[in-house]
Amino acid sequence: MLLSVRDLQTHLHLKRGVLRAVDGISFDVAEGETLGLVGESGSGKTLTGLSLLRLLPKGSGRIVGGSIKLDGQELTTLSESALARDIRGRKIAMIMQDPMTSLNPVFSIGDQVGSPLRNHDIARGAALRSAVVDVLQRVRLPSPADRLGDYPHQFSGGQRQRIVAAMAIGCTPRLLVADEPTTALDVTIQVQIINLLRTIQADTGAGIILITHDLGVAASLCRRIAVMYAGQIIETGPVRAIYRTPSHPYTKALLAAIPRLGAKRTRLVAIAGQPPSLIDPPSGCRFAARCTQRMDKCAEAPPTVTLSDGHSAACWKLV
Amino acid sequence: MSGFFTRRLIQGVISIIGASMIIFVISRLSGDPILMLLPNDAPASMIEETRRNLGLDKPLWVQYLIFAQNALVGDFGNSYRWKMPALKLILDRLPATIELALSGLLFSVAVAVPVGVMSAVHRGGWIDRIGRVFAMLGQAMPAFWVGLLLILVFAIKLNWLPAFGHGSWAQLVLPAISLGWYPVAAQTRIVRSAMLDVLDSDHIRLSRALGTPERLIIWKYALRNAAVPLLTMLGVYFAAMLGGAFVVETIFAWPGVGRTVVEAVFSRDFPVVQAGVLFTSILFVMSNLLVDLSYGLVDPRIRHGR
Amino acid sequence: MGASMWRGVPWIPLAILAAVGIFAAGGEWLLPFDPNELDLGSAFKPPFWLEGGDFANPLGADNLGRDILSRIMAGSRVSVIVAFYAILFSGGIGAIAGMIAGYFGGWVDTLLMRLIEIQQSVPAIALALILAAALEPGLWTVVVVIVLTYWAWYARIIRGEIMALKNRDYIAFARVAGVGTPTIFVRHLLPNIFNTLVVLATLQVGQVILFEASLSFLGLGIQQPDISWGLMLSDARQYITNAWWAITMPGIAIMLTCLASNIFGDWLRDRLDPQLRQL
Repeated sequence: MLLSVRDLQTHLHLKRGVLRAVDGISFDVAEGETLGLVGESGSGKTLTGLSLLRLLPKGSGRIVGGSIKLDGQELTTLSESALARDIRGRKIAMIMQDPMTSLNPVFSIGDQVGSPLRNHDIARGAALRSAVVDVLQRVRLPSPADRLGDYPHQFSGGQRQRIVAAMAIGCTPRLLVADEPTTALDVTIQVQIINLLRTIQADTGAGIILITHDLGVAASLCRRIAVMYAGQIIETGPVRAIYRTPSHPYTKALLAAIPRLGAKRTRLVAIAGQPPSLIDPPSGCRFAARCTQRMDKCAEAPPTVTLSDGHSAACWKLV
Repeated sequence: MSGFFTRRLIQGVISIIGASMIIFVISRLSGDPILMLLPNDAPASMIEETRRNLGLDKPLWVQYLIFAQNALVGDFGNSYRWKMPALKLILDRLPATIELALSGLLFSVAVAVPVGVMSAVHRGGWIDRIGRVFAMLGQAMPAFWVGLLLILVFAIKLNWLPAFGHGSWAQLVLPAISLGWYPVAAQTRIVRSAMLDVLDSDHIRLSRALGTPERLIIWKYALRNAAVPLLTMLGVYFAAMLGGAFVVETIFAWPGVGRTVVEAVFSRDFPVVQAGVLFTSILFVMSNLLVDLSYGLVDPRIRHGR
Repeated sequence: MGASMWRGVPWIPLAILAAVGIFAAGGEWLLPFDPNELDLGSAFKPPFWLEGGDFANPLGADNLGRDILSRIMAGSRVSVIVAFYAILFSGGIGAIAGMIAGYFGGWVDTLLMRLIEIQQSVPAIALALILAAALEPGLWTVVVVIVLTYWAWYARIIRGEIMALKNRDYIAFARVAGVGTPTIFVRHLLPNIFNTLVVLATLQVGQVILFEASLSFLGLGIQQPDISWGLMLSDARQYITNAWWAITMPGIAIMLTCLASNIFGDWLRDRLDPQLRQL
């Protein structure tokens, strides 16, 4: 297995108390596979992604338990310098949400795309230049050789996201973490970027973790999906299985909220209520307070029930 | 951009004209300049004749126009004391003043940038705290006293550096430090807050996520962003150095415009005072103008007219 | 107001400022010695903790045997007088100019902004030099220079505040209701900028003291036999190799006074007018 996360717990130490942002999640990503990590904002999906790179908020964020193994190598105990040298940008790379702010405004794109290649000693001098042109070609940036000296503001939003992608895939990482890569873009450009991620995967065989709140985007790109709620994975399985037989009430509600083509015009169903505070989360099912099918048993933590091959959910109704 | 620049240029010219008026009017406050030019026992006819020759019998605004016209072609009259054109005297001394002002600026930036960067990187740490104490102290110590203390410690007690004179590197050190001392606090604050903003930005987060060594993140990728506000202020600080040079040059016997003008004040050498002050004002306005030009040099977004 | 008004008051700076004020007001009968009394036997006597020093002259004596502590205490009077008048006039002129320009706008406003620009194109110290060359240097020249330099600082800030204020409903109301312009100024505008004025004035104290010291040091400010900290430093410079205490003590007095008023000003600003933090 390329990436194997077990019982990961990431806490944020805030003034108000300890926030259990990621509370015991486990998942795997195989080589060449795309896993969608889906959830509302605040569900802990972004912090899960940052935990893989150990790039948590300075001072407050800490991984307090569990393990992260990349190709069998444990990352939670690796030293900071080894992480920077061998993992970040080298084996695991990240694509951030907003392409408009993800590029440094006062450095040319040639410098920025070349930076990971330089830092990881992959190419220098003339070889570096041709490597940069090559990787920009791979992300389909038009006439890259002429534009190495240009600055980010001279590119459109979609082009910038391509440049960000080029920075990420420069060192052919084994795993790509894409955090809402399309949210800030227009719909047509979203499609282009999704296609780009597909091509990158076909080229390099990298595993991808796609972090998104948008089940539609996840479905178009992923083979498997893990749904996060309040710091936990409440349902995981192949895309088809989750779409055909969503089993957790939260997943059902999420799917119901997606406007679908062809379907009769239904009202967008918003889920009533707020997710629980993760500073002092309820001991039982965390969705219970908002769940329409709540039972007395929900006051206890629900077990994870395997429904079919690779499809499981954590809910008392399934027992 | 060019429209904006033209407008600033016109404002600058108006400022300089205004400054020349202020200088002219104040100079006339002291009374009849004739009495200073001629011996006390000069006969009335001679006074009358000189007055007419110099145009001092005309109304004040005509006199100003004559003054301005002469100033425009660089004629401020001869120095009473040095018996040479006042402007030439000032121009001769100008390189030394610019040398001092640039060195002072260099010192302040050389201290402010690393301290500001480290205060931001280790926010609330010991560098940040010591930096804040020094900033408070720096704002409360007059430049001339800093200069005297430096002379006391480094020239007299330790005998490491010369206390005055001009020509060698060693002679430049103490004047530059006393001149550059005061703006360090403000510059550190600018760098620190700009650095805090940048370190919290998405592109720095991405750089980190791609394994850029922390050293490069701070000193290359973040600093160039954080330097923009400081660089655009350098003209203002250079102008402040010109003002400070009057005091510092006097302490260190630095042969620049400042000391020349201060000495001219004591010998009532009006042409030199006028030329020196007007020249300083012109430099002052020009360096403030440069601020507006310099944005483009450091920020590619503005260079490309956005 | 009440007890909460005094929360977090910087007591030490306040005590220093009070001491400076008392020395300035108390005059001669507070001083251990006549500050101008010569005692050549005590010339260059070091401070008490050094060999040869004693408590008769705790901070030592200068080249003429004058007691440095007494002279520092006496010198505070000049600092206080200069600060008082300079701030009164620069604040007053600046506030009036800023209020008029901000309220009426139009050509009055343009004229004021041009004047501010022109004023700022002459370095303050250069202005002082040319004034000192034209007039007799002295306490009032120092005040004039500081007023000419600082009125623009007040005017610019007050103008901004008035421009924001004048569009408020109650002022527009008062105007429509036919309330006279002088009444609007005194009853509605002035109370609203009062806090700002107090904060600006406090923050200016330290700068005025530094400025006076610099001018007096150059010989363009206070003249003998008056006593000022800057003038003491100018004297002490002649014999810097003989008596380091004569260079350090008056400087420390300047530094402590500035430090105290800056810290107090910062506290007052955070209390009364946090928007001014940019200054």
